[in-house]
Amino acid sequence: MRLRVLTVWLALALPAALGAQALTPRDSALHALNRLAYGPRPGEVDSVARVGVMRWIEQQMAFERLPDVLLAERERDFKLLDYDREELAQRYGEALRQRREMQREMARSGDTTRPRGGGPMRELRELGGELQQLAVVRAVLSERQLREVMVDFWANHFNVFVGKGADRFLTPSYIEETIRPNALGRFEDLLIATAKSPAMLFYLDNAQSVAPGSSPPGPLSALRRGGTQRRVPTGINENYARELLELHTLGVDGGYTQQDIIAVARIFTGWSIDRPQRGAGFAFHEWAHDRGEKQALGVRFQGGGMEEGVRLLKLLASQHATMHHVSRKLCARFVSDDPPDGCVDAAVDAWHRSSGDIRAVLRAIFTSPDFWAPQALRAKVKTPLEFVVSAVRAAGAAPDSTLRLAQVVSRLGQPLYLQPAPTGYPETQAQWVNSGALLGRMNAAVALAAGRLPGASVDLDDVVAATADHALLVDAVNARLLSGTMSAHTRAVILAQLADVNDPVQARTLAVGLALGGPEFQRQ
Amino acid sequence: MTVSRRAFVKSGGLALFSLGLDPLFLGRAAYALRRPTPSSAALVCLFQRGAVDGLNMIVPHGDPLYYRERPRIAIPAKDLVDLDGHFGLHPSLAPLKSLWDNKSLAAIHAVGSPDSTRSHFDAQDYMESGTPGLKSTSDGWLNRYCRHDQEHADTAFRAVAFGPQLPRILAGTSPALAIDDLQAFGLRVPQEGARDKLTRAFEELYDGAATGLLASSSQEGFAAIQVLKRVNPAQYQPANGAAYPPGRFGRSMLQIAQLIKAGVGLEIAFADLGGWDTHINQGSSEGQLAARLRELGVGLAAFAQDLGEGMRNVVVLTMSEFGRTIAENGNSGTDHGHATAMLALGGPVNGGKVLGRWPGLDPASRFEGRDVAVTTDFRDLFGEILARHLGAPDLGAVFPGFSPSPQRFPGAIRV
Repeated sequence: MRLRVLTVWLALALPAALGAQALTPRDSALHALNRLAYGPRPGEVDSVARVGVMRWIEQQMAFERLPDVLLAERERDFKLLDYDREELAQRYGEALRQRREMQREMARSGDTTRPRGGGPMRELRELGGELQQLAVVRAVLSERQLREVMVDFWANHFNVFVGKGADRFLTPSYIEETIRPNALGRFEDLLIATAKSPAMLFYLDNAQSVAPGSSPPGPLSALRRGGTQRRVPTGINENYARELLELHTLGVDGGYTQQDIIAVARIFTGWSIDRPQRGAGFAFHEWAHDRGEKQALGVRFQGGGMEEGVRLLKLLASQHATMHHVSRKLCARFVSDDPPDGCVDAAVDAWHRSSGDIRAVLRAIFTSPDFWAPQALRAKVKTPLEFVVSAVRAAGAAPDSTLRLAQVVSRLGQPLYLQPAPTGYPETQAQWVNSGALLGRMNAAVALAAGRLPGASVDLDDVVAATADHALLVDAVNARLLSGTMSAHTRAVILAQLADVNDPVQARTLAVGLALGGPEFQRQ
Repeated sequence: MTVSRRAFVKSGGLALFSLGLDPLFLGRAAYALRRPTPSSAALVCLFQRGAVDGLNMIVPHGDPLYYRERPRIAIPAKDLVDLDGHFGLHPSLAPLKSLWDNKSLAAIHAVGSPDSTRSHFDAQDYMESGTPGLKSTSDGWLNRYCRHDQEHADTAFRAVAFGPQLPRILAGTSPALAIDDLQAFGLRVPQEGARDKLTRAFEELYDGAATGLLASSSQEGFAAIQVLKRVNPAQYQPANGAAYPPGRFGRSMLQIAQLIKAGVGLEIAFADLGGWDTHINQGSSEGQLAARLRELGVGLAAFAQDLGEGMRNVVVLTMSEFGRTIAENGNSGTDHGHATAMLALGGPVNGGKVLGRWPGLDPASRFEGRDVAVTTDFRDLFGEILARHLGAPDLGAVFPGFSPSPQRFPGAIRV
């Protein structure tokens, strides 16, 4: 009850109190829709302003209570969601078996042509594409926008690469079972879930990290998978340990040493994956675990088996360096590329007080004066995903269920789940803004306005009426698609371009294309 | 035939003709003593994704173990293009022989990564990030080179990767273009008048309202469109009768040559070609690998022919994430190995040699008992080319945690 009272107080008081200098209710609604959501749909700035921006933010936080019927319907198009991890694992195992069979057949027949695109692995590659498209469709359609933004944030923070071997079939369940249920939960739970996830164990090689000198029970052939002679792992692999400390938790300046990395790697020996035939779930291999004493971050670990790793993850989640590192990254996503200390400190305080409740940390950011400061408005350049999704939403367009819209995002520089480096994509603009990518955005905007953007169907009649009155047209485009952010210069340039266009529909296409491809719409 | 470079230059064109050399290389020989000016030097990197079998590309035919370990897939001596009595070119690479003879082609053998991984993914990642063993490096070494070399202006075409997406090797904060097809660069409006009009409109929009990186990047983009309008890629005809192989690789090489000739400031070009993961029936003088090598050889030869004397400032470098097993496997193929061979081509190249210390195929000198050992860290080769060809001032910034040393340089670039 007290929480509710506080929430109402926040809803009424905060934007006015914090952004007292300049922000109108519409300004703050647009800002929130740009950052906590993938941009406004036509008319949405007004509806959020009417509800009250802080109340809308609380609704987004309590996403479980928001109905999401349209998306639920669309998700049925994705056969990916019909399979759980075990089924995918079986399909993967079957595909591997078929490929071996095909290879044996090729060797027998002396066929020297290379196996082409089709074949047994094709279905798995298609699933990877479906996974990308599902992310785009959810970002466009979901009413639970903040949740989708946070799923994107965490999937990027705990990056895996869908193109690496078994991650072709492990990534779907990683998104569905590891990231999505924990996106607005507790950081510690999310961290443990990722550590145990087969996708991460495979991606950062912990699945084959074993205590030196250990060997599996039973015949070695059990470890030879995929037709190629895979070597039996012979020692620890530090990859996961290093990225866990550097990227997932403490940060590169988090005060750990190479000795800590080795100790952490030893603690995680034995954290591995079951064979595909058995569902490819998390498996702790007792035989591979290093039973010796380890000192990590000044704490002694010994004799705990798998529990050592869980203890370590809890320790990491409660470190101040972790809170600061992750809070700063959240502020870089939500406030500005180089966020002020104020919002970071507020997020860290909330983290301490709430023991890492992600909603509490976000609330601290969204109520921080830095978030509402005039210099934070439109301070961030959209990522390719944000650009494409926000353009589709602004134009009231509908994504189809093919891979094409996700391919547009890829061509603009952000192939989803295909960042090979465990850093994920950066939260800063330098990665996205270059001449080729900008021309790509202009092309996508023009194509969308003309109804030619692959994978999106658009009916501009629902958004801006075609009219022969160019001033009226440009004002409507500004109000409906740019939420009133169009500069006088942009307005003048578009009007000059329209001067010799007589057909009202053509004029509208041109005006919308220039507006969405222009500089204002690249920012949020 | 061993004629020193000095002799080439002194003896002049007639002597070259009498040696049976292609007159195209007159230019190269004449310019051979002139250092490339930094502003026009270009590096073209070609990634053979999938791990090329270096032993069947640059064949150690002088080593009997080679034939013993590969009864079905070894290249018979009679088919080889001999290079120096010990090594020979795969017959598919025969178009490169004249480049070898005029000393603009070198092979570097037993080059690779200090990391022992046999995963394509990890090894490609390390070769592109330039930090073997370290996964968290987010940018590529070619991008770091661009960032740290302030000598060059960041023109839109300074660093170009041919393909739909920017590869890891060029990822980072320095501007780099991914171009799938030069002819489609710019705004995609079929009709030229309408395209120009729309281009001007966007240019004006960004001129007046964009700030920061959005402003500078858009300016670069529109400048590039202007440049390409002048270059007119659709009308390009390769010079000297050069015939590129059909397919994406040939088209990329053609467009790289075109950009170099157009003088648009291209310094780094990148393209990749796949199909090297020959686990099954890789073939010998003919077959799967032979077909891939033919495309590579014809493409490289056409590129050199097309550029003609322009090759004096260009180095083309091939690379691949690792090599393949010394012994053939049960499927008449080869599995993932360790060291491989790379090719360097161009005027500045110390050609006509197989460079790098050859560790031999003797079981005692193999890596993990089965693969060609690495005797040249790929960073020493890449570093040498950056330093001596492009004049990179600070290799430490390009390869963090490693200091390429002139003592370890394989000597791929003439000094």
